[in-house]
Amino acid sequence: MVVAIGFEGSANKLGVGIVKDGVVLSNPRHTYITPPGQGFLPKNTAQHHREHALEVLQKALDEAKISPKDIDVVCYTKGPGMGAPLVSTAIVARTVAQLWGKPMIAVNHCIGHIEMGRLVTGAENPIVLYVSGGNTQVIAYSQRRYRIFGETIDIAVGNCLDRFARVLKLSNDPSPGYNIEQLAKKGNKFLELPYVVKGMDVSFSGLLSFIEEKAPQLLQKGEYTPEDLCFSLQETVFAMLIEITERAMAHCGSQEVLIVGGVGCNKRLQEMMETMAKERGAKLYATDERFCIDNGAMIAQAGWEMFRSGQTTPLKDTTCTQRFRTDEVDITWRS
Amino acid sequence: MTEKKLKVDLSVPFPTEREAQIACGTLSVDSEPKRGGVKKELVVKGNVLNIHFEALEARMMRVGMNSFFDHLNLVIETMEKFGPPEK
Repeated sequence: MVVAIGFEGSANKLGVGIVKDGVVLSNPRHTYITPPGQGFLPKNTAQHHREHALEVLQKALDEAKISPKDIDVVCYTKGPGMGAPLVSTAIVARTVAQLWGKPMIAVNHCIGHIEMGRLVTGAENPIVLYVSGGNTQVIAYSQRRYRIFGETIDIAVGNCLDRFARVLKLSNDPSPGYNIEQLAKKGNKFLELPYVVKGMDVSFSGLLSFIEEKAPQLLQKGEYTPEDLCFSLQETVFAMLIEITERAMAHCGSQEVLIVGGVGCNKRLQEMMETMAKERGAKLYATDERFCIDNGAMIAQAGWEMFRSGQTTPLKDTTCTQRFRTDEVDITWRS
Repeated sequence: MTEKKLKVDLSVPFPTEREAQIACGTLSVDSEPKRGGVKKELVVKGNVLNIHFEALEARMMRVGMNSFFDHLNLVIETMEKFGPPEK
């Protein structure tokens, strides 16, 4: 029996989760929400994490009804992500690991998403579409690595959505992407937007510039409503993602597809993926916002796998890094 | 040779030597940003954590020390809430 606690703080979510042999005992989270029209900056986000880390940790222990002595390993997000928030979160993890006399594990954030998705859905060996505010990747497992088949060559799809939400001054509560999704349901007039797929890769920055520039005049003239623009944006960027995911599935002959990451809880994206999967006779696996959006349990789960395969990270090596690719990690727990 | 560096020595007492060592362990891991021009060294003597800072400019020193104090506070709060250390 192994109990792992995970600390996540690579972006604007601060999460602490406890996992015991594949069962999530607790997974509280506190999100830093900025005013409409504003993004989250590293310095303020780090401050948010420092202010809330201890209460979220206490909540995780209380909800799991376990005492620190029952914990076997302390896991934290090493990267990728924003430097200052990562370090602030890692400092709490390092301190409690020493106070409680527990070993540590440094976890790659993307691997955390994948392993949590596999745990929650039971997908065996899926093609993974990892879509969030900071990452956009199509991933397949082969020979002890999660290999990146395609990815964004500039900004992440979630970043594109978040930044368009700022143009419309949408609320960031619970998240800008969620509010775009709600508006998009009421849109029906489609605005053609640049559709940029380059081989297995996608690009969103040109599309974002285009819609950022056009939106104010289109709205002012009354040609399009904010709902129409949200609808057009979602349909376009999701179609691009489905295209590269389908190509990866065809290449690997995979019959499973798993969506992870914050954008993964978008119902429209899931619906489009479901249609594509059905046509191929494949099965879609997706999770809800508890596990899609950054959380502590996913770090605990990936750390749990790493710990059981014999890894630990010495204290002096528990650094953080803003750049840490998914395919840098040796997957010692899968055959 | 004339000295050009700014230097600050800071001493932080902890309830016990073990806690000073834990704080040192946590705070020694992250290296200062390369272009920040700040150097720091942490040493534990008894129950006191001694930190020596060096920087080329006052501005850099301020930035380095500000973030150090943010982190030090977090370590102390964590110890108060989740300590004392297990034997």
